[in-house]
Amino acid sequence: MSTRLREAAVQHLRSLGTGTGEGAVRRLTMDVEAEGRVEMVTLSLRDGELQCVCSDARNDGPHVLAALRFVAGLEQREDSSPPGPIASAAGRAEQSPDQELASALDDLLTAITRVGVEKAQYAPSVDAALGRVVSTAPQPTPSGLGRFIGRLQHELRSAELHRVARLLQGASELADALRAEGPGLELQQRLSAWLGTRPGSLPQVELLYDRTMIEVGREWLSGTERASLERRYLVDVRSGRVYREDRPRNAGASLGPCPRLVQVGLAEVETGPSPQRIRVLQYEVRPEVPAESWQQLQQVALRSFAEVTEGYRQSVQASPSLAEPFALVAPYRIERNGVFKAFDAEGRQLVLNRSERRGAVLAFYALLAQGAEPAWLAGRLTDTGTTVCITPFAFGTRDLKYTRL
Amino acid sequence: MAHNLEPDLDTLELCLREGIAGNEYADPREALGCSADTDDSEVARALVRLVAANDLEQIGTQSLHPDAARHPSVRPPTEVLADPSFLGRLSTSGDQGLSVERIDDVPTLLAVLRAGSRRQRRAALGRLRERLADRRLLHSDEVRNAIQTISELRDVELGFELAELRAELPGATGRAARQEHEHWKRLAQQTHSEVRAFWDGQSNVDAIRALPGDQRALLLMRVSELPDAMVHHITAMIEGSDGCVPLESRIGLITSLRYARDPRLVPALVAVLEAERGELVASAARVLGGIDDARAQPALAERFERSFVAEERIALAGALGMHGDCRGLGEVRSSLDEDQPQLPLQALQAMGSLGSPEHTDLVAKFLDHADASVAIQAARTCARIGDGRALDELTDRYNSTSVPALRAAIEDALSAIAARMELRGEEAVAIDWSEVGDKPAPQKGSRDSVPAIVLGWRDYFMARLWLLLGRVTWAIARFESSAARRDDWAVPLIGIGMAFARREQYALALPAFRRAIEVDRPRIERNPILVRAMAKSFLHRAEQVESEGRQDVARGLVGEVLTLDLRRAPGTVRFELQRKHDVLRREKAGDVDSAA
Repeated sequence: MSTRLREAAVQHLRSLGTGTGEGAVRRLTMDVEAEGRVEMVTLSLRDGELQCVCSDARNDGPHVLAALRFVAGLEQREDSSPPGPIASAAGRAEQSPDQELASALDDLLTAITRVGVEKAQYAPSVDAALGRVVSTAPQPTPSGLGRFIGRLQHELRSAELHRVARLLQGASELADALRAEGPGLELQQRLSAWLGTRPGSLPQVELLYDRTMIEVGREWLSGTERASLERRYLVDVRSGRVYREDRPRNAGASLGPCPRLVQVGLAEVETGPSPQRIRVLQYEVRPEVPAESWQQLQQVALRSFAEVTEGYRQSVQASPSLAEPFALVAPYRIERNGVFKAFDAEGRQLVLNRSERRGAVLAFYALLAQGAEPAWLAGRLTDTGTTVCITPFAFGTRDLKYTRL
Repeated sequence: MAHNLEPDLDTLELCLREGIAGNEYADPREALGCSADTDDSEVARALVRLVAANDLEQIGTQSLHPDAARHPSVRPPTEVLADPSFLGRLSTSGDQGLSVERIDDVPTLLAVLRAGSRRQRRAALGRLRERLADRRLLHSDEVRNAIQTISELRDVELGFELAELRAELPGATGRAARQEHEHWKRLAQQTHSEVRAFWDGQSNVDAIRALPGDQRALLLMRVSELPDAMVHHITAMIEGSDGCVPLESRIGLITSLRYARDPRLVPALVAVLEAERGELVASAARVLGGIDDARAQPALAERFERSFVAEERIALAGALGMHGDCRGLGEVRSSLDEDQPQLPLQALQAMGSLGSPEHTDLVAKFLDHADASVAIQAARTCARIGDGRALDELTDRYNSTSVPALRAAIEDALSAIAARMELRGEEAVAIDWSEVGDKPAPQKGSRDSVPAIVLGWRDYFMARLWLLLGRVTWAIARFESSAARRDDWAVPLIGIGMAFARREQYALALPAFRRAIEVDRPRIERNPILVRAMAKSFLHRAEQVESEGRQDVARGLVGEVLTLDLRRAPGTVRFELQRKHDVLRREKAGDVDSAA
């Protein structure tokens, strides 16, 4: 590649935007078609050096060359002038924010598919595409979208092909919903789950009155940043339904420790991915949970693992990117001789997920080894492709003792 | 676009895994039934849709192989060879190999109690408790010696275990420990009802936060005996979900739990490690280091690997070291190697759990540090490392220093090193204190005349009488008169200090105690009742001025009292003074704010 071409490109990159005071350009990402293929090329300035990355892994190929010629203003144009300053928003072809976000999501999907799940975590094009999704989304980033980004980054780091595919499928569905004209109720619900209640749409909430709930577990989850969301899992002791209370960092939520007994006077439940999000509006809280409440909790725990599996499958199919089902299960019997196996009355097995919350799993095993006999187990459901498994958060014993893991 | 009805899923997954750009071996277009010129974005959507749909169909269709549910093992990585000596191989439990639980010899247990790690010392106390429960042994010399050692032991880190064991001892020690336990029960009961009122909305004051420092330390020393509701309240404060506790108080509470062992605290502390930063993380790490729980080490290791704040990393390294994971040793060592270490106190504390004899010289050079608290910590770290090569330097420093607290720390360090050498089978070092400089200023012969002595005692007894009658002003005047008659007589000054301390007039007690210390410091340091009253006066006065916003004055008070030999003061008071000293130091450096 010609040094002159690079220098010309660097000069133009440096000059972009600085003259108008709109901000200097540090990185450009573009789709370039050459030799019958479209590749994504990223040009960035780091410490004054120009770095060129192409999604075909050839950093001096025809796509990079074409991109440099474009930036340097050497390609044939009608006016043959170098690219001028970025047009102001008013001057650009009007694109609605929804369409911008949809196109950013499409770009993300394309970028990951081009470089492959195995290499995506190191790919600047994927970084750039993620950054574009965040910048085109409403600010501050809605919790659903933020959680999607957190999960996607996590799965890319562990190169989990199927989970990445699921998340991207969900993103693709969101892009379709954003492009739809006059979205129906189902699409509106999907949009609300991702982006919160949108202007002009009615909030899809169910009101709850006079319920008794027990918080059985909580965790910090990553979004656009690490540990940006605290999620508490509340179980209605009458129906056994599990709700999630999401508290973004530095935001408020209901008060109290885990576990706690929450007498809910009034709450809103969003229609959305499992577990459904709850906003507790009027409540009383007690840090000590009476024995009869634990008894009730034990009674409403799910006993059929087939039901657990089916519920999980339905939740994930409905919201592949956002569903993070949580369940309260009561094993019929457990085996503890070196391994943990929980069985229901029909002999169906539920296994522990050992790849997450490793310390909690170890502590659970240690307590089992000391003779603890779980009457119920609460945890987030995941799968290993074919098998549904549970990440433990808490368990209760027959003598109505609770242990948070 | 026409999609292939039966696509080759393996090929598609390969394409998604390795990327569709530049993949020479497989083109998903063919498998997807797309034409060769189909746009990448179209291909990507189709590819993801098919792979995801197939994956979602497979959920729950198979059982996992039983091997996949086996116990996940965690073997902490270590960078240093395990200490092959007796103490290095001594486990705290177990029926096989070297284990504290299998030691019957009382002198060996006492040596472990002086020289072992915190876990080994706890285990040794537990084993001694079992041995002392055998009434047939009570009259043997060994057991009498053990009882005396336990009565005199001033190990703050073992406060709870010592209190439990002392309560079972006969005599005055046992009675005092049982009384203290009764006091704790009343305190816990009262605090429990206040906690209930807090959550019922009847009070907006957090009961634990409102307690005086030494009372809070006493309450939290026995946190494992507290009911669930109280512990849940504490975890709410740790996690910041109680709605009223500011950041400084969260840090204060976590540091108050420094030597707690209750596993019920672990999830909240792990949450702090996951979500917070700065001093909160460092404090939580120090607590988790001392708790034997399977959740602690993975959480500490995960946080250590992603942390970039020096204070956090050093605290995490030390905590990991307590779990036998030495991954942070290099960082702590290089921190101490610097010409001007930024965090010498924290690094020395961490070295206490990470260090080995090869680090003796590195630690010993801090014995001469200008900051007495750093020098004291260096002596404590030398005690934990227990290398005999430090004896000379410790002895030299002992002779050259005038700081009583440093001399006390060196005395403890010398005892610990001697015990460790004994356990290693090396020649036991009998330390002759008269040679190493433990020479309190010889009592000067009284130069007071007989009338001055008689009148001095007369005024003193009159003052005691007025005190009995509740005439404090008259009593103080008599004490002052008594003190004025004899230059080197501390008794009336102590009387003034005690009179004000009992009436919680700490600002007035301090000058009297200061004058008494000037006249006869050893008299106060060696008397448990006096040293307790004096230390509590300084502590409570520091709390008072701190609440008025005068942190510098509070820092000065705590720093002043910590230069004295407080080994005979109650462990909870010493713990709280040290904790407050650390917090006030950090506030001076501005770290508390940065932890927000």
